[in-house]
Amino acid sequence: MGRTLPSATQLMLNEEAALSRFRRALRREDQLTFDDLFTSAQKHISAAAYAAHALPFETFLMAMLLEEHKEVLRMRKIIEMLEEMHA
Amino acid sequence: MPEFSGWLLDLFEDPREGLILYFIGEDGMRWRLSQSFPITFYALGKDAELRALWQHLKDRPREISLERSQRMDVFKRQAVTVLAVTINNPYEARKIFQQTANRFPNLEYSDADLQISLRFAASTGAFPLSHCHVVADELHHLKEITVLEDAWTLKSTPIPLQILSLSPDVAPHHARPSYLTVEILGETYHFDLRTWRPLLVNLRALIQRYDPDLILTDWGDTWLLPLLLQQSEKYHIPLGLNRETGRCVSWREERTYFSYGQIVYRGQQIHLFGRCHIDRQNAVLWNDYKLDGTIEVSRVTSLPLQTSARVSPGTGISSIEMVTALRQGILVPWQKQQAEMLKPAMDLFTADQGGLVYQPRIGVHKKVAEIDFVSLYPAIMVHFNISPETILPNPTADNLVPALGLAIDTSQEGLIPKALRPLLEKRIEMKKHLASTPTWDPYRKNFKRRASALKWLLVTCFGYLGYKNARFGRIEAHQAVTAYGREALLRAKEAAEDMGFRVIQLYVDGLWVQHPDKTQPEEIEPLLLEIQERTGLPISLDGIYRWVVFVGSRQNKKRPVANRYFGVFQDGSIKVRGIDARRRDSTPFVSDAQMHLLELLASKPEPEDALPEAIRFIRERLRTLRNGQVGLSDLLVRQRLGRKLEAYRTLSPAARAVLQLQAAGKEMRPGQRVPFLYTMGKPGVFAWDRPQHPNPRTVDVERYQRLLLRAAGIVLESWGLDEEKLTEKVLSDASQLTLPVPRKQHPLKHSRNIPGIVNPTVNPTLKNKAQ
Amino acid sequence: MNRQLTIFPIPKAGKISLVVAPRGVVQSLMTMLAALALRGRVIVLDGGNCFNGYALARAIRQHTHQVKDVLKQVMLSRAFTCYQMTAMLAKLPIDGTPVIVLDMLATFLDENVNFNKRQRLLDNSLNLLRRISEGAPAAVWARTRATPTGEDQQFLAPLLETAQDIWELQAPEIPVHQLPLF
Repeated sequence: MGRTLPSATQLMLNEEAALSRFRRALRREDQLTFDDLFTSAQKHISAAAYAAHALPFETFLMAMLLEEHKEVLRMRKIIEMLEEMHA
Repeated sequence: MPEFSGWLLDLFEDPREGLILYFIGEDGMRWRLSQSFPITFYALGKDAELRALWQHLKDRPREISLERSQRMDVFKRQAVTVLAVTINNPYEARKIFQQTANRFPNLEYSDADLQISLRFAASTGAFPLSHCHVVADELHHLKEITVLEDAWTLKSTPIPLQILSLSPDVAPHHARPSYLTVEILGETYHFDLRTWRPLLVNLRALIQRYDPDLILTDWGDTWLLPLLLQQSEKYHIPLGLNRETGRCVSWREERTYFSYGQIVYRGQQIHLFGRCHIDRQNAVLWNDYKLDGTIEVSRVTSLPLQTSARVSPGTGISSIEMVTALRQGILVPWQKQQAEMLKPAMDLFTADQGGLVYQPRIGVHKKVAEIDFVSLYPAIMVHFNISPETILPNPTADNLVPALGLAIDTSQEGLIPKALRPLLEKRIEMKKHLASTPTWDPYRKNFKRRASALKWLLVTCFGYLGYKNARFGRIEAHQAVTAYGREALLRAKEAAEDMGFRVIQLYVDGLWVQHPDKTQPEEIEPLLLEIQERTGLPISLDGIYRWVVFVGSRQNKKRPVANRYFGVFQDGSIKVRGIDARRRDSTPFVSDAQMHLLELLASKPEPEDALPEAIRFIRERLRTLRNGQVGLSDLLVRQRLGRKLEAYRTLSPAARAVLQLQAAGKEMRPGQRVPFLYTMGKPGVFAWDRPQHPNPRTVDVERYQRLLLRAAGIVLESWGLDEEKLTEKVLSDASQLTLPVPRKQHPLKHSRNIPGIVNPTVNPTLKNKAQ
Repeated sequence: MNRQLTIFPIPKAGKISLVVAPRGVVQSLMTMLAALALRGRVIVLDGGNCFNGYALARAIRQHTHQVKDVLKQVMLSRAFTCYQMTAMLAKLPIDGTPVIVLDMLATFLDENVNFNKRQRLLDNSLNLLRRISEGAPAAVWARTRATPTGEDQQFLAPLLETAQDIWELQAPEIPVHQLPLF
């Protein structure tokens, strides 16, 4: 018995495709940033699948936020280190 | 009165005597016994229809007896009223059942189309190749049969099988064979295939003298036996392939089917009576588990040896379930009617998922422990009692399947757990036994093969639960298994993290974990115990990697893929998944080189130290390739034909090769593997099985060079040498008279300027050799 | 993404509505299903493994935030063989709950089952469906395949005969992304 619902990977591709008009109208540098967001969300695709949310885009947004916040924390650490060095 | 101990070799229906059984005696004698063996099928339905059926059959008391009875319907979870139709001679059963089913199509039927060996095993306990004690009367009617070793015995007494092996000198679809090699009892004979009369006479003499139990052939199903039968008729020299006189051999048609999303081809089959025939080239998983494994499958599934050699593990699992059902008096439905329960669509989001799989971080990871649940899905079925009849429609708080809105009835062991438990336990026992068997032990190989056969059955049993035509399949049960699987893996992850491990990767039934201070097996042990405690399922340490590398997908190397990795364990052994060295379609030239590179990396404490040697090795391989010194058979690609030719929009290389074969009058079916060479110009391939010899000068050296560099790049990338850098480094060698070739350039553009083919010598022994 | 082919009127009791259309119609069917689910319970039988829960959830979301509650109104069962399809129709409660059958013919086009047997089972199924439709809205989608065989027509014919309200739709045009410049 094959699966009935599309896989989380497929869902993410669908969501990306649904935003293709939005992406097209962005500046080139923003397009690349936009792509980055989806690439980072892809890291949590199995968690998103496990969550099994009926509106998966909400989970994908959360995954993007998660990666963004990780980056913020990493940056904060670097800044603290630099501050200590210069203190 | 004959009485002896021996092994049940073969059994089949007979028009006059009912059931015929062939035995190999411990004393070397061969026995042919018979038994009257009435069999019963059941009809279920409305009273009026059942009455009509009874009216229709009641006047044939010599052939058929009828009875109103109650039997257990596993899907309805209760006994139902049935009309039991007992047919005195099993030989007539198929015909009578078909007529009945056609005439009374509105009735449901059970126990209708079961193999006689399954029925015999269910009623007597004796299964094919079982060691048993037999009592018969003067007329050689079987009176008593007692099994001495059951199918779950770990070390069974070896069967003294007399084996005759027949093999042509070359694959018949590749070239015309010129002689036939015959082996029996260590003696080897070569018979000329151009002179049929002496061949037939000699072969007949050998069969008569040695009376083999098993005829083991290469291409016997698809080529040799049909040819022998045809010639034997032409020359009026009967060969006596059957031990049972007066019977013709039995032919089964070729078929192509889907299994796990993959297309599979199985050639036509020829079965014998009183002896067995196995075609090594047409047998299932022969390369993996050989005769030892095939015998094991036969014993645990109760399928005759000739059948067990040729059916998928799914059929094996189905047989085990059916024998269990017969023994329990549970109806085996002919056509399953049971559909999915009506459930809120909301539930589908959680239920319609597979196993939990992480996206690994691409690159090298050091000191990683891989731990795997032992046969996770079968263990879940057995441990949590998952079976079609144990799924409860109205869940209470007890025994709730994680997040599914289903509950499991644990008051009685279900049919599926009952069928699988001994299989699972035997596999675990064998694994333990293997771990403690020294490598020099002569039985180790036998054990490994049998363990592999059991593994395949167990791997399949989960998929079979979800297969639409499975008699005891049920979608909710299938979903419950994956739900428990995800739960178990997450609990394992939590246990590992609670104990300070970092989780590198999760994959359905295994996890890869890392801890700065825990790098020895005994330091992992507490984690294993904790996981077992939290999940109730057996888990074991597969090994600790010195290093393991997860690589990206074939299409996009930045995109992680869960099951594509390679690594070296602390004991130096190498584990490889999903890359060329493991893929059946990659050429030996490429996969051997990739494996060699891995061995080089594994041979040094720091893999970096192996890089200079690796580069030398790649240069050397490429030089050999360009000098035309790589044997053509090492350049063969074996791709599977994915569909019918008409269905291709643009022809794949495999399809183009098939087109060439078609032009030469050779037909290929979807699911068959097509060996071919990459050549220059159009059509870019040369099908290996064409009647012509390939011209070594036409080999597309550039393409093979690219394939090798890509495969090497996958392995070396983590140490700074990806395909591009490698290409640069290897091809910039001044001793090479070739210019570096840009990657992915169209092969046609190079057709006039072929670098390197200076001295196209071919290994002469390969020209006529079989693949 | 796929644009909706059309929005079907909500089926009414007393007749069988039939949509004959290619796979792309699923989106619109899910919109119709959402409209039904917003009113109360609906039963969906899926014969072609094509129930698109995500499209349904999106369609519901356009009307309400309570997506889960509305999704719970949709009762689903999937059939993978023609035996199962017939058995499921026989088991449905006749209590006025609307019934939608998705890709009804898929399981009947299974060459592993004897042709006569399949025809007989389809007849049974249609009788059952007729009975259900007397008291409840019933809609069937028959999927047209890209490469139909003779059998497709043979199995569609009785369905066309049984239905009273028939919508035949062609494959949609390839969606236009860019406006023509000339």
